Amino acid sequence: MLWRQDQGGHKRTIRSVAWSPDGRQLATGSFDATTGIWERDEDESGDYECVATLEGHENETKSIAWSKSGALLATCSRDKSVWIWEVEEDNDFECLSVLQEHTQDVKMVAWHPNEELLASASYDDTIKIWRDDDDDWYCSDTLVGHESTVWAIDFSPSGDELVSASADETLKIWKRFVPGNALGIVTQRRGEPIWKCVATVVGKHERCIYSVSWSKVNGLIASSGADNTIRLFEVKDATAPVGTEGRLTAEQQKALNEPGVLFEADKVADVRKAHGTSDINSVAWYPNADHGDWLASGGDDGSVRIWRLEDDRGKLSKSQSQIEDCDDTTDDGMLLSRLKEL
Amino acid sequence: MAFSGALTLSDLNDFISPSQACIKPVEVAKTSDTQGSIKVDNTGSYYEVSQDGSETKLETATIKSVLVTMQSHEELYSILKQNAIARETNDPSTHRTVVVSISPQTRASFAAKYNQTPLQVARKMTWFFKNLGVHSVFDTSFSRDLSLLETGREFVARYKKAVEKGSIKAPNLDGSASTGPKGDGDMDVDEYTPKAPRKRIIRRGAAGVADEPAVPVEVESAMPMLASTCPGWICYAEKTHGYMLPYISETKSPQQIMGSLVKNHFGSQLGLNPDQIYHVCVMPCYDKKLEASRSDFYSDIYSTRDVDCVITSTEVEKMFGEQGQIGMDAFGELDLDLGYNSVVKDPVTGADQVLVGASGNASGGFLEYVMQYAAKELFGVNGVDVDQAVGVEVKTVRNADFREVTLEVPGSGEVLLKFAAAYGFRNIQNLVRKVKTGKSPYHFVEVMACPSGCINGGGQLKPVGDNYATVPLKDWIMQVDQQYRNGVLARKPEENPVLEQLYMEWLGGIDTPKSREQLRTGYHAVEQNLINPLAVKW
Repeated sequence: MLWRQDQGGHKRTIRSVAWSPDGRQLATGSFDATTGIWERDEDESGDYECVATLEGHENETKSIAWSKSGALLATCSRDKSVWIWEVEEDNDFECLSVLQEHTQDVKMVAWHPNEELLASASYDDTIKIWRDDDDDWYCSDTLVGHESTVWAIDFSPSGDELVSASADETLKIWKRFVPGNALGIVTQRRGEPIWKCVATVVGKHERCIYSVSWSKVNGLIASSGADNTIRLFEVKDATAPVGTEGRLTAEQQKALNEPGVLFEADKVADVRKAHGTSDINSVAWYPNADHGDWLASGGDDGSVRIWRLEDDRGKLSKSQSQIEDCDDTTDDGMLLSRLKEL
Repeated sequence: MAFSGALTLSDLNDFISPSQACIKPVEVAKTSDTQGSIKVDNTGSYYEVSQDGSETKLETATIKSVLVTMQSHEELYSILKQNAIARETNDPSTHRTVVVSISPQTRASFAAKYNQTPLQVARKMTWFFKNLGVHSVFDTSFSRDLSLLETGREFVARYKKAVEKGSIKAPNLDGSASTGPKGDGDMDVDEYTPKAPRKRIIRRGAAGVADEPAVPVEVESAMPMLASTCPGWICYAEKTHGYMLPYISETKSPQQIMGSLVKNHFGSQLGLNPDQIYHVCVMPCYDKKLEASRSDFYSDIYSTRDVDCVITSTEVEKMFGEQGQIGMDAFGELDLDLGYNSVVKDPVTGADQVLVGASGNASGGFLEYVMQYAAKELFGVNGVDVDQAVGVEVKTVRNADFREVTLEVPGSGEVLLKFAAAYGFRNIQNLVRKVKTGKSPYHFVEVMACPSGCINGGGQLKPVGDNYATVPLKDWIMQVDQQYRNGVLARKPEENPVLEQLYMEWLGGIDTPKSREQLRTGYHAVEQNLINPLAVKW
């Protein structure tokens, strides 16, 4: 047990948890509008203890994320704002910025894997990219294209691409184009990169997609949602040779200032009824190569399941991955373990 | 950039949304000509009072829309029209003396946009308003002198009380002891002292979730003292940080002291009751409308407010357009009214009128004045000048909107006074965290909700072209900031020749019951209704 409610814990549901990159602290974002920072008591019981509480959001905190270096923590809320905190000594946190440009509930925040660049996804159907200029954070780009709530986002291993999952039942892949890029995509503001949609995955998920995770180890995208299915996609280069039939020529693309489809996301596996008939609210790849083939999923059935890829190069064969009505006794070796709610 | 985009009608939950861009309030069409009013009671609830006297409790969004309707330039027009009718029908009972008090930030905003000097703006606005039928045009830098003096006195009194109670240690002037507000543990104010070794776990619990201080904080000695002029900050503190209220200075803002002066002093001089005067303030900020509506500034006897109506710089600009004026070039000029203005005969050119005002930052100069005053009163240090960094160390910490000003014993590094200016939502968050966790090293903090302070208030003019594409926001703010001082001679508040007379004749002296009534106020925490899951919309 990590903590009990009577020991300075949250007053309402915890919606989001995130380990600091050094694994020393756990941040918890709660519907009580606060964010808790917890550390493990090294002697005695090994209990987790709240060492700081970040206040400021007016209502439900929806998501929290630590930057790669662990120096920054981002939070977002139903109050439409995104907050960036700087981690200081002695469990102190300093508010660096309060970003209020989303027009609706902000569902998720995600940091770039290497840079101090933040993305946020919202009920206003957009994704915003935030950068800092001498400690002043500003909205560098707004990614418009989804037709409904953007529930989740994750960066590719390089951070040059971003995948988004939406209630419009699509995944979109967005790519960053820097000024002077080879495709000639115009960047509107001086020095400022621009993000463009380079692939849309349509017709794979049958309902809202709630969660997406882009493995930093094997490069596969996992997604899940209200259709009770976990799907894995492999991203392939789809850059068409100039003049290929049915595609815009490079000149035409340039004229439209749209990069067109640069990637294809092929479905390589799916796990139907991964949590029985429950929605699957969350999927996450193991963050590093120690167990790069592990995937965790959390569902409305109150369970967390850990899955393992059969082939750690990511070439998951369909026969092995099609698991219908899976449960604990499945002997396909796919279901590595199962955790019941504490 | 303004926290006070304030009157954003879209958001139910905040008086001051922590916004990063100036938000123009949603225009609310006036639905009727009924002369209702809005009232704020001691619990912070708002009521709409209709003509028959019935009261309806209002939701925040409604409050804002009612305020925008009730306190708009349209209301000023309707009062002036009513006066015209009173004159035609020879009915003095419905005639009111109309007074307009203009803030120096408004002057600066017009000066920057229309390429005028602040004095020209003041003279042209006097002409403009008097042409409309306004009787007197005053300047809130006059009442600001009183606000500064009182804030300085209040600070010195609190500091002495805090020393007496042992909540802060008086500095040892030979430099051997530490000073500063005492935290919840051993705290080193001196930042050069190495920090205490990091404890493995700092048991602060879920610090701040429970909003109750361990020991009640008393207003009379609460340190740091926080400036009270920004209504955006006051509303935010009352709504979400009740714990901070004892720290807030009880001195009224320049706007509200002008309200006391106009309704009380000016009125009695003219033999008018407060309700026979209609007082309009022109402000850089929409939240000033909320401030004017507080029950603390309402007279039950006369059913009137000290400030009847607040209109912003942008609303005045709109009035210019409605009166057929494009720019200010075709305006006439009139001498400023004597009385509650800040003008002197120009000592250099001999011109009849030149503007004077307290020095310091363009949010009113509270930090600068209190530092200079307290250094002298508490430690006998004369000649401190924060603007010129004379006698104090001035440091920008982390971002341009957080400044620290420190007075030390020369040579010893012993801190006598540590002040800060914290502007904008993020810096307010950090200040609140510091005070709550007992880590604030400050004695006084000038808090302003807007980044860059009042000069960048949500009600200020946009540069020509109505966007920041041609003039970047930072450059624009700098231009307005420069205009704030342009041609305004620095004069210390205590050198205002009228004030002594006011204290003697109007208030019966310093620190009398009447001076407290006219110059001080109080704050009220608003009951939180945060955790009601049933009310939550998804």
